[in-house]
Formats: sequence, C-alpha cells, structure tokens
Amino acid sequence: MIEPRSSAMPAVAPAIELVEVTKHYGKSEAVRGVDLAIAPGEFIALLGPSGCGKSTLLKLIAGLEELTDGEIYVGGKLANYLKPSARNVAMVFQNYALYPHMTVRENVGFPLKMGGVPREEVRARVEAAANLLQLTTQLDRFPDELSGGQRQRVALGRAIVREPLAFLMDEPLSNLDALLRVEMRTELLRLHKRVGRTTIYVTHDQIEAMTMADRIVLMNKGEIQQIGSPSEIYGAPANTFVAKFVGSPPMNLIEGRIEQGSDGLTFRGAAEVPAGKAFAGLSVGPATLGIRPEHIEIVDADHPDAIAAKVDLVERIGSNSNVFLIVAGQASLIANVDADTLIREGDEVHVRIQPEQVRFFDAAGNRVEGKGAAR
Amino acid sequence: MAAIAESSVVGGRQELQRLAIDHTRVRARQRRLRELGRHVALGLITFVLVAPFYYVLLASLKDSHAIFQYPPELVPWPPFWGNYANVLSHTNFLRWMFNTLFVATTVTVLKVFLDSMAGYALAKIDFTGRKAVFLLMLILLMVPGGALIVPLWSLVNSLGLINTYLALILPPLANPLGAILMRQFILGLPRDLENAARLDGLNEFQIYWRIVLPLIKPGLVVLAVILFTDQFMSFIWPLIATTSDDLIVLTVGVASLRAHGGVDYGLWSASAIMSLVPIAVLFFILQRQFLARSLAGALKQ
Repeated sequence: MIEPRSSAMPAVAPAIELVEVTKHYGKSEAVRGVDLAIAPGEFIALLGPSGCGKSTLLKLIAGLEELTDGEIYVGGKLANYLKPSARNVAMVFQNYALYPHMTVRENVGFPLKMGGVPREEVRARVEAAANLLQLTTQLDRFPDELSGGQRQRVALGRAIVREPLAFLMDEPLSNLDALLRVEMRTELLRLHKRVGRTTIYVTHDQIEAMTMADRIVLMNKGEIQQIGSPSEIYGAPANTFVAKFVGSPPMNLIEGRIEQGSDGLTFRGAAEVPAGKAFAGLSVGPATLGIRPEHIEIVDADHPDAIAAKVDLVERIGSNSNVFLIVAGQASLIANVDADTLIREGDEVHVRIQPEQVRFFDAAGNRVEGKGAAR
Repeated sequence: MAAIAESSVVGGRQELQRLAIDHTRVRARQRRLRELGRHVALGLITFVLVAPFYYVLLASLKDSHAIFQYPPELVPWPPFWGNYANVLSHTNFLRWMFNTLFVATTVTVLKVFLDSMAGYALAKIDFTGRKAVFLLMLILLMVPGGALIVPLWSLVNSLGLINTYLALILPPLANPLGAILMRQFILGLPRDLENAARLDGLNEFQIYWRIVLPLIKPGLVVLAVILFTDQFMSFIWPLIATTSDDLIVLTVGVASLRAHGGVDYGLWSASAIMSLVPIAVLFFILQRQFLARSLAGALKQ
C-alpha cells in the first residue's frame, strides 16, 4: 500500500507499537510486515476474513506465539522476549476459557492471586469488578452454572481486575446469540468509555468493528490492507478488497477503462461516468469504478445520466430495499433505495450513478486519490 | 321396551367396561411377564458372576471335612472360623498384605504423577522428537509382557536390585500405557485454557498442577484404579524378582500355600477372601470420585 494508512494517529507515545511484525508457521506466512501504532486509550478493531492473521497478530501481542521477525513494544518497552504475564496485557478469549474447577470469584481473582496480591485486596478488587459487570450474585457459582452472557462477563472481569495496560479481545462476542451480541456490544463500548483502556478487538464482524472502533485495521492474507477510522474505511477504501469487504451489501465494482473524452477523462464500462479533474492520479487505461449501493438512484428515463437496467431481485430490509440490477445485460449492481419505491422483479428501470460519489481503483486494485467531481 | 332397551344399553356399557378392564389386565400381565423375563436373565447373569466367589466364601467357612461333603452345604451353620485364624497364625499373611499394599500404593502414586506429567508434555509442549517419543511408546505397548521378563530380570539383577522393594516398584513405572492415556485426556483440554493461565502468570509446572490436573481428575482416578489393581494382581514378576520371605507379596504368598504339604482348601479360600478386602475398600472409596466435576462450563458447548 502506498496510501498513508492512518490519519488519526495522535502524537503521544503509543501504548502498543508493532514494527515489521512477521509470523511464519513452517512455510506459510500468517502475518507479514505489520506496522501499527496504537495510542493509549484507543479502541482498535482488527477486522478481516477468517485466516487473515488477525487472531495470530493478537496472540503475538499477548506473547502466546513467538515472533518470526519484527518488534513489539508494549508501554514503550520491547516486549519480544517478555513472558505473556509480564507484558501487562489481559486477554478475553473467544470461548471465554474460564477455569471450570473454580468459582466465578476464584476465576476473576486468579490472576491477582498468582501475581501475589494480598488476599484482602484481591477480595476487594474482585468485588469491584463484579459490581461493574453485574456479577455480584454469581460470585460463588461455577462456570457451568452460568449463561453464555454471564460467562462472557466473567471473562471480562478476569481481564478488568488486572488493570492492565491494554485489553486484547479475540472475537469475544461471536459465541453469543444475535440479540445478546448486540446488547453486549453496547455494554462493552460503555465499559470501554468508563475504563478507558487501550483495547485491541479482533472480529470478523464489520458491524462490530464499525460501531465500536476508533480505528479499524483491515487485514487480508496476513497483511494490513488499510488502517483508518470507520468512516474512512467505508468512504475511502484503500483498495478493491476493502471496498468489497466493508459494507453490506458491499460497494459495487464495475470493471472498465478510463478514456479521454471530449471534456476530460471518462470511465467506460457497463456504465459511463465522467471522471472529472478531481482524480489526480487517474490516467487512461483499465480501471475499476466503485460506487456504494446507496449512491445509485432510480431516475426517470429522460434524465441525462440515466442508465437502463433490469431488476433481477428486490430484497426488502425494513426501511430500505436492496435492488439487484443487471446493467447492459451483464454487469450486476446493487442499489439501496427507499422501501417505498415501487419496483418489482423483472421491471425495466433507469438508474443514475452519483458522479460525486464514485471512487476509482487502478489496474492493481488500489484506490486512486481524489473525490468524485460534482457536476 | 324402553326399559329393556335401557337395560341393554346399560348392559352394553358394562360389557365395554369389562372389556376395557380385561384389556388393561392383559396388558398388565404382559408387562409383568416381560419384567419377569428380564429379571430371570439378570438373575442368571448375577448367579454366574457370584457363584464362584460364593463357593470360595463357603469353602473358607468350612472345616476340611465339610468342604468335600456332597451335596455341599449351602449355608454352613455355624460357620467355621478356624481357616481365618489359621491364615493369620500359620502364614505370613499380614506381611504379604503389607508388601502388596506398599508396592501397589507407591507404584500408583508415582506413576499417576509421572504419567500425567509425561502426558502433559506429549499433549501440550512442542519439543523436538515429540512424535518419535510417542511412536516409541506406542510400539512398546505392543511388546508382550512375557517377552520382557528375562531381559528385565537380568537388567534388575545387574543393578543389584533383586530381592529389594525397588525391584517391584521400578519396572512397572516404565509402562507407557498410562502416559498415553493421560495424553489423550489432556489433548481434550482447550488450548485457550492454558493461554489464559499463561497470561495469568502461571509457569509450565503451575499450568500442569493448578489447571490441568484438577480438570483431568476423572482420568487420574481411572488410571489410579487400573494401576492399583494391576499391581495388586501381578504375580509373575514379583514371583521371580523376590525370593526373600520378607518381600513376598499377596499373590505369590497365597499361591505358595499350595506347597505346604498338599492343599488346604479352607486355608487357601480364607486367604483369598482376605486378600480381596483392600481392593473392595478402594473401589468403595473411589466410586464417588468417578462423578467428579467434569469439563462442563469451561467453554461454550
């Protein structure tokens, strides 16, 4: 990636910093040359498809896996050779990893007890954590007597009670059912606001990443694709992978060419869109046009930008509908329109791609700088 | 007419009721028959299992004359306790018992400890040659015990350990079965549990001791029972590894009773019954442990 990966990295000393972090398993590269600086108190989401290396990266930071190459700094100290417990980070595991033979109280207090904290203090801190997480009445139960949500809270409690420099969370909500997940998501966020600790949150769920994170680190095949705030990731995807991965339904990508038109550069593919002068790096040649579904609108046939399309499928999702369109008999686009729009499968309609909202990607799939031209 | 009709209706209803009652009776009878059949089958099996034991018990409670009486007396009354007294006064029974208990307990304790540690290493620690070691253990498992007796004897002999407790204790420790069993149990534990422990500041031994051991308790109990009974019953090796009277174990001692000028069946039976006592007690105590808290609750099911 040549793009500047981040815009929001503050000037304070980072809580956690990764330099050229690489991890091989035998011959396969799980993580490749990852650079990342995380500010104190920041909530970072590591987002990506399964097998993209996000969990491995988290384990590297925790010290549960050994680096092949690179450096990891935690709290300004080189952590490469520190034991997991010496790194001052706490981890919440996907399947909670509670000790089944200990009560909630013992589970939460265990890291403190092992750290040699006096018994009275352990007791006080466990109770404070239990209070925070509404676990006070569950303290003397065993994990198998708790519901999924309660176990999740215990796992959080075990992390919080240590008062670590950073929380590492490995898909902590993925084992909960949909309703509880949304509930816990809000609760986690509230907790983060209250506790204010640096958090690295691994997830494959873009909604979680978009709603919770200050910055999202999007990974694929062991490499960082883009680092940015949720709106940057959504609005200005660094490449076609990010464009496809974020957003539901994803960004429409139309293959085509940039050609020299009568009044400047024009994109020609299944649809024709003027590129304007705002795209500094744009040059004649093969390119991909990206447009979000909500930026395709249904227009009258006599509109100057109208593109003829056939409605393939209409998916109603409450207030909006996803309309699957076939343009020029081949390219398929998805438009997100108001649910009140009267449109049925098989209809011949006309749509308009809002030129000020298009993004362009070069032949290699990287986004070309600049924003769509307003007409 | 109406009266007749009514009475026939009533009669019909009664008939129906009677039929219904008959039907339930038939069904109840069938159920009882099935139940009976089941109990007869279970009774037969129980009889086959218990009969030899009862026969030995009977023999132990009869004097040498009554043992050979035909038809045998099924409830010897009054029981003859002389055999038991003879076992205690004429043989070294208590010494044999002590030897067996001492050897079996030592082997069990040491081996449960060693096997669970070896199992942990084989399951969770990534060391060079792990696969080779495990394979070697599997191969060792396939070597019949009898084939090892002579080389084992000469090995133990050259170490100068023949006729010592160590000769009885050391060789069983080398059996790889327990470590393989423990490896399987420990493999079943989720990796995140160790990872959590590692982040909580535990070292390798503490993970084994504080996390793994409590979680494989049912496996440890099974292993302990297997090892203990195995040692309790072992005969050939103690027979050839010890010749001193002080080191004779129960099995060898009881068997040696045959040698004392013909067979005293009463004495023999009484010693057999007495040697069962520790095993019976052990099973009684450990029964509850089999129900130990399982893994449930560690993870989302």
